[in-house]
Amino acid sequence: MVTKKVECPKCKTHITIEGKPGETTILSCPNCNLKGKYTFPKEEKPSIVKIKEADGENAIEIKNLTKTFNGFKAVDDISFNVKKGEIFGFLGPNGAGKTTTLKSLLGLINADSGEFKINGYDIKTQEIEAKRSIGFLPERVQFYENLTPMQTLNFFCELQGADKSIIKPLLKDVGLEEAINKKVGNFSKGMVQLLGVAQVLIGSPPIYILDEPMGGLDARWVKIIREKIKSLKEGGSTVIFSSHILTEVEALCDRVAIINKGKLIAEDTVSNISKVLNIKPRLSIHVKDLDGKVPEVIKKLKGVEFVEAKKDILFVTCESAIRSKVITTLEKEGFNIIDIRTIQPSLEEAFVKLVEEDR
Amino acid sequence: MLKFNPKSVFTIAKKEFLDNIRNKWVILLTFIFVVLVLVFSYVSGSQSNSDSTFGGMQDTVFGLVGISSLLIPLIAIILGFSTISGEAESGSLYVVLSYPVRRIEVLFGKLFGLGSVIVFSIVLGFGLGGIVIFSTVGADNWQGYIAFILLSILIGFIYLSLAICISSFCKKRITSIGGGILIFFWGMIYGTVILAAYFATGYSMKDFTTGNIPGWFWNSVIVSPGDLHQTAVQRAFGITQIESAGFSFKIPEFLSMANVMIFHFIWLIVPLILAYFFFKRRDI
Repeated sequence: MVTKKVECPKCKTHITIEGKPGETTILSCPNCNLKGKYTFPKEEKPSIVKIKEADGENAIEIKNLTKTFNGFKAVDDISFNVKKGEIFGFLGPNGAGKTTTLKSLLGLINADSGEFKINGYDIKTQEIEAKRSIGFLPERVQFYENLTPMQTLNFFCELQGADKSIIKPLLKDVGLEEAINKKVGNFSKGMVQLLGVAQVLIGSPPIYILDEPMGGLDARWVKIIREKIKSLKEGGSTVIFSSHILTEVEALCDRVAIINKGKLIAEDTVSNISKVLNIKPRLSIHVKDLDGKVPEVIKKLKGVEFVEAKKDILFVTCESAIRSKVITTLEKEGFNIIDIRTIQPSLEEAFVKLVEEDR
Repeated sequence: MLKFNPKSVFTIAKKEFLDNIRNKWVILLTFIFVVLVLVFSYVSGSQSNSDSTFGGMQDTVFGLVGISSLLIPLIAIILGFSTISGEAESGSLYVVLSYPVRRIEVLFGKLFGLGSVIVFSIVLGFGLGGIVIFSTVGADNWQGYIAFILLSILIGFIYLSLAICISSFCKKRITSIGGGILIFFWGMIYGTVILAAYFATGYSMKDFTTGNIPGWFWNSVIVSPGDLHQTAVQRAFGITQIESAGFSFKIPEFLSMANVMIFHFIWLIVPLILAYFFFKRRDI
């Protein structure tokens, strides 16, 4: 449900209405009784976030982090910065060292070496100031079984030194309103995660550190959390979140760092990573009665790097300059083209390529 | 210089109290404790009125020591054995430590918060027990009874500090259970070891009756907090001679109230220092 404020065209009275995106409702002005229709705007589909070259101070600085567990180098000399106001994706397969990096940053893990700054504060010498600047959501979040969500958030508010009046709105915001006096021990996994999200927002810190915030959650929760991250950025906050779900990172992040086997293998904007890896957009051409056969003429066409056919869809990876040539060639050969689409390069491809090259 | 914010300690302590006062095991043990204290106070108290072989409150208290020195350490261990290892394993400690709070504040918050649960159990049990005793045997030697309550709280804190130490050392909840069991049975293990040493060094059962007991045999109670506690309770009631199973022992000079108290505080503080050291170095 979304809430919209509309203005009566006749008497300029403000009317607040609620409805689903895309839904049309008939409304009448309470003041002048004018009747009218209103269609709620459709939700924007997540696409690659416009790249904004972030500049200015760093929200997070990680310098030369190395951490060894029983002789195993979990993280090997990692350095990167997160700029203020950006959404930063920290990407890597499971066990790559993402959690170790984030925990070292927060001083939860004693790193072998490395320097860490949060909001300009050194985590070792200015621990309290550094930690007051952040909201942290760990990968496996858990609270105290015998406390209610109200008591739990009360506790965190006191630790953060934050205003307690935000607790109720926060619980309402994440949808835990009805469970306000239930013991957290009786919560489902999703509910615990939502309480985790509520806890992160306490005190409105400038920086949010989220470790696999969407891991293990179903689509509904993922959507809620994704929206939350977007709104944090809109409010001017910095967000760093780790993930192995690439589509999420791609849709949300300004920049990403990719880690594999404890080493940083890339740190750049989403589009630059795609560029560097030379991943080109693909054409998806719906051809009538193609039936899974790749036309020989397309295979032989100069500039076509890859072509495959799935049922009636022909996928062509080629230089953008010859895209139109592909279409005209097909038409000349007598193929009946129903639809043409361009598929943008996905980070998933970049990621698989990077990780494979690293092997 | 160790920085410290008392407000954070209080916040952690309050949370620990609220969470653990509703722990079903703690509730069950407190219930058993209160019932046993009440039953024992009533039975022992009413008998001491009619039968002169019972020496009034003093004997009642020595009976109560049997109950309290078993149940108070048990409550303390259950409260503390996994307070750090369990929270690290479940993940709640990640969240807490990401807040502006120092590890030392978490440690002390836990000590005071869990400690107040113990104080609550003790005051409830011995408070109600006290009412029964005073109404049946009278309030003679009430100072001794107050001292006994304070000593019980102290021994509760000692076991709590040991349990917290175990839980900050052990990586997992399951291994800290082992540690908890070890400290609970330590008194028994100590007793067996010291008795074996007694016989191994050439002493015999006969020496008990003649009172030919080496100083170290008695003095070794300093390595067992439970035995130390019992000695302190005896001292609190001004007892210097112990009659047991036909034998008579004189509590050695070395185990004066002052010295016994010093060893209590060593048992309280050393595990805490170790706990801080383990916790500080721990990867959460």
